[in-house]
Amino acid sequence: MRTRLAFVAGSLAAFVAVSAPAFAQKQGGTLRISHRDNPPSASIHEEATISVVQPFMAVFNNLVVFDPKEKVNSPDKIVPDLAESWSWNPDQTKLTFKLRSGVKWHDGKPFSAKDVKCTWDALIGKADEKSDLIRKNPRKVWYSNLKDVKVGSDTEVTFELGRPQPSFLSMLAAGYSPVYACHANGRDMRSKPIGTGPFKVVEFKRNEAIKLVRNPDYWKKGRPYLDAIDWKIVPNRSTRMLGFVAGEFDMTFDSDVTFPMLADVKAQKADAVCEARPSNVNTNLLVNRDAPPFDNPELRRALSLSLDRKAFNDILFQGHALNGASMLPPPAGVWGMSKEMLESMPGFSPNRDKNLAEARAIMEKLGYTKDKPLKIKVSTRNIAIYRDPAVILIDQLKQIHIEGELEPIDTTVWYTKIQGKKYSIGLNLTGLGVDDPDTNFYENFHSTSDRNYTAYKNPEVDKLIEQQSAELDREKRKKLVWGVEQKLIEDGARPVINQNAANTCWTPQLKGVLLQHNSIYNGWRFEDIWLDR
Amino acid sequence: MGAYLTRRFLLMALTLFGMSVLIFVMLRLVPGNVADILVDSAGIADPKEKAKIARELGIDRPIFDQYIHWIGGLAQGDLGFAYVSERPAIEEIAPRIPISAKLAGLALFFSVILGVPLGVISAVRQNTGFDYFLRVLSLSGLSLPSFWLGLLILMASVQWFGMIPIYTNEPRSMIDELLLLSIPAAAVGFRSSALIMRLTRSSMLEVMRQDYIRTARSKGASQTSVNYDHALRNALLPVVTIIGIEAAFLVGGLIVTETVFNIPGVARFLVEAILWRDYPIVQNLVMLIAFVVIVVNFLVDMAYMALDPRIKYAD
Amino acid sequence: MAIINHEAELSRAGANVTGWWSRILFFTRRYPLGAVGALIVLLFVATAVFANFIAPYDPTSTNARASLAKPGMDYFLGADFMGRDMFSRIVFGARISLTVGLGATLLGGILGVTIGLMSGYLGGWFDLATQRVMDVMQSLPLLVMALVMAASLGPSLENTIIAIAIPLVPTVARVVRSSTLSLREQPFVEAARAVGMGEVRIAVRHVLPNTLAPLIVLGTAQLGSAILTEASLSFLGLGIPEPYPSWGRMLSESAAEYVRTAPWLVIFPGVAISLTVFGTNLLGDALRDILDPRERT
Repeated sequence: MRTRLAFVAGSLAAFVAVSAPAFAQKQGGTLRISHRDNPPSASIHEEATISVVQPFMAVFNNLVVFDPKEKVNSPDKIVPDLAESWSWNPDQTKLTFKLRSGVKWHDGKPFSAKDVKCTWDALIGKADEKSDLIRKNPRKVWYSNLKDVKVGSDTEVTFELGRPQPSFLSMLAAGYSPVYACHANGRDMRSKPIGTGPFKVVEFKRNEAIKLVRNPDYWKKGRPYLDAIDWKIVPNRSTRMLGFVAGEFDMTFDSDVTFPMLADVKAQKADAVCEARPSNVNTNLLVNRDAPPFDNPELRRALSLSLDRKAFNDILFQGHALNGASMLPPPAGVWGMSKEMLESMPGFSPNRDKNLAEARAIMEKLGYTKDKPLKIKVSTRNIAIYRDPAVILIDQLKQIHIEGELEPIDTTVWYTKIQGKKYSIGLNLTGLGVDDPDTNFYENFHSTSDRNYTAYKNPEVDKLIEQQSAELDREKRKKLVWGVEQKLIEDGARPVINQNAANTCWTPQLKGVLLQHNSIYNGWRFEDIWLDR
Repeated sequence: MGAYLTRRFLLMALTLFGMSVLIFVMLRLVPGNVADILVDSAGIADPKEKAKIARELGIDRPIFDQYIHWIGGLAQGDLGFAYVSERPAIEEIAPRIPISAKLAGLALFFSVILGVPLGVISAVRQNTGFDYFLRVLSLSGLSLPSFWLGLLILMASVQWFGMIPIYTNEPRSMIDELLLLSIPAAAVGFRSSALIMRLTRSSMLEVMRQDYIRTARSKGASQTSVNYDHALRNALLPVVTIIGIEAAFLVGGLIVTETVFNIPGVARFLVEAILWRDYPIVQNLVMLIAFVVIVVNFLVDMAYMALDPRIKYAD
Repeated sequence: MAIINHEAELSRAGANVTGWWSRILFFTRRYPLGAVGALIVLLFVATAVFANFIAPYDPTSTNARASLAKPGMDYFLGADFMGRDMFSRIVFGARISLTVGLGATLLGGILGVTIGLMSGYLGGWFDLATQRVMDVMQSLPLLVMALVMAASLGPSLENTIIAIAIPLVPTVARVVRSSTLSLREQPFVEAARAVGMGEVRIAVRHVLPNTLAPLIVLGTAQLGSAILTEASLSFLGLGIPEPYPSWGRMLSESAAEYVRTAPWLVIFPGVAISLTVFGTNLLGDALRDILDPRERT
């Protein structure tokens, strides 16, 4: 009898031991991650780089958020965050959120609808004079259709739009759209921000480290699992990689491991979990259409025909980058053109020899030969990820009798230089905060945008952009989006070379990591991640 | 002596003043200012926002006003506000000083315990195979870029020990910290040890050629005791000088080493601040470095005077 | 007023040699390390000059198939991740190093000599003022000074040369100034003055040649440190920009990232820098022994 009891107890214990890892997430532990550079500030609304979003998204909450359990961000996979529910009015111009109650800011003050109003008032420039919550706003175009934010009660807030805009909810669901506290000031938000999120900022030491600790009063019960997150800023990538391999870090920075480096990391740390995914950052060309020589449309055509996208992809991504226009192609992307459609576009045909022959014929017709090449400067930002493709581009241009010289431009003056049209070809990277046509088209190609720094202007495209933006039917809208894409390609607005891809690695002890495949800027709340140590 | 000191202090102050003007003007020649960087790093180039930030930081004021503002503050011990972190510059700079100081101290320590004995041995065994070996070794120390040496050390430590000696934020104890710093310190110190060794060797040789050594030797003192006792004591004088100068100039080696080993010291901070056009940080750091160099030079001269009674700074 | 008196050296050594070959042989035997240094420097200069003929590939030409190729028959020293031939890049890198090293040393030398001569010769307030400026410049370590200069000028080949040259000026100026001061009172200068020679002519014809020996010694040392400084600046991202295959640049960023799978990317450029600087240092030591007997060791 005794032995039997013991046996039963033993098997029960064995059962628990075996199955425990399957559901019981462990509480505690400090996650150590390497960071690639010094974030310009901690204020997500003021910045446009993953360097800020990845570490600080965990400090905040949005109204709504892309479902953290889904790999692909899509408009119908949006879940509540600080808003419990939302509804549109019949003509789709008023979006009302019912807010969670009992939520507290990290300093103990209660969260209310007023904070939502303050945040978006600041973003659309309607904040009162005294408020200094935000001193610069790189995403003005996201909210050009937002007319007003009205507080119904402490737990109800309504966004009033000028016209229907189905993308609006997607923008609010992005990592770039946290809710700020009304009572905070800009300087604090930039150096030691408060939020309602699962982690509190202990310290943001410039060039050194970012320390976050668990918010014990987080409104989502039982979260987060981690006690703390330690970000260490290590600007030298080889040191970062060595640190990860040596076990100093549990996780690499997002998309920090390029394909050529992946073999090395896997060889040194065989148990590392590495996931490749598109970053929704594309490499593209900026062509100065207003000055010789590229004011000549024929020359622009030769240029886009000459691009050997496969060679870029093979060298920089070992063939893992995606071929696409400015929207990320399916299946990772929601809005991109299909492969067949893309290959029918000028310059995207897989028949490289035919493209090259045509490009060369154009150049020779224009009077350029091997001995009498066209001499140009290829400008790019003086950062490795910009310079590397520029070096390849210069090499490829030789084939169509263009002799390019690299002009590395200090990051400080890059946009000023491009806006001032002091370049002929620029090599550029464009990242999308949300896989959404409105954010992309309005930001980069609409004539009124302040981030359309090539000053591309086509009234027809402007009209198409507005038309797709207001279209409520998803399938009809996709067709309009493809129409815009086709126009942009034909105009050579910003010829896309590759839709980039890269790897993120972590230790197998880190559980619950789910990378989102169409934006690196989303999905970094860290509340579902835990350490099995 | 008093007159000499007064003159010396005046010159030191003048040099620092000159440095403040030089660095101030040079920084303003750099294309782009911090407002450009802050706004451009967000992917926008909105002149209105730039102007707003420039006004907020006071960099839209005339250069002369800015200079007076900075130097006036400095005179009262106020280093101003760092542009990027928006914190008082002193809070950014002060915690980084001890780290660099420890690193430099360790490096200097290594270079002396390595450089002086090897220099002496090399001199005593002049023109033997061992001397040639040491001379080549010391020359190679002057030839290896310290960042390359650092990279090789990092590679090797991961390869063979499965660890990476990079600086974590709170080393558990002073011992831990020193152990951690000793690897980069060796990378920096290798170069200075080579310099010290060469100088020790040549000044040893010079002293050994001098008459009183010959006299001592002829009086029957043993060869070894002459070499080590008489010669070394006299040869150390110029070595003290070079050690002093080297201490200040280690800063150059620290810049690359702190970058490679990710050490949060002042030298790496200087590079970052230059890239961000964070004038208050760059200006004050440069002044700090210049101050250290000048003071060390002064101390070296004083030490020289104390050690060698023949030298008098009369006027 | 011997300028570079290797004859004196020969006679001091009691050697009775004639003809170039035997002289070279003599110096090689007497200064074996110096001879090795001279050989390395010669090799370096030849590589830089004949880079076009030596390098099998265009150093900027990329090739996906050769990405991270191991050292072997096709790629003598391997290839970087863009498939650029390392051997060709190192060969052309010699040209960059030589251009910057020599350019900076010469520019710094010319400025330094001019300032030093004027300072020592004119004396007075000019001397006082320049000395104070030199004080200021020397109160920063070479690399820190070059760093600030490079940042304020922006990345380019010419600017890198200037940024390295300027911090070299004070040392040269001080050496020239002090020899000028001692020479100014020498009898032959007095004599020249007595026969009515102009001051500028005296300075250039009589004073300058006598400072040449220490200048050559100093210059060789500065060549090495200019090459090292360029490598450090480029490593920090402030020196020579990308299309040029600078050795220091090769060691930074992208190269070092593949350090484990492709150690040749880190080893060979580092060896190239070290060897070149080592050569100039060996040569410099020997030259000092030959030209500057006072500092003989």
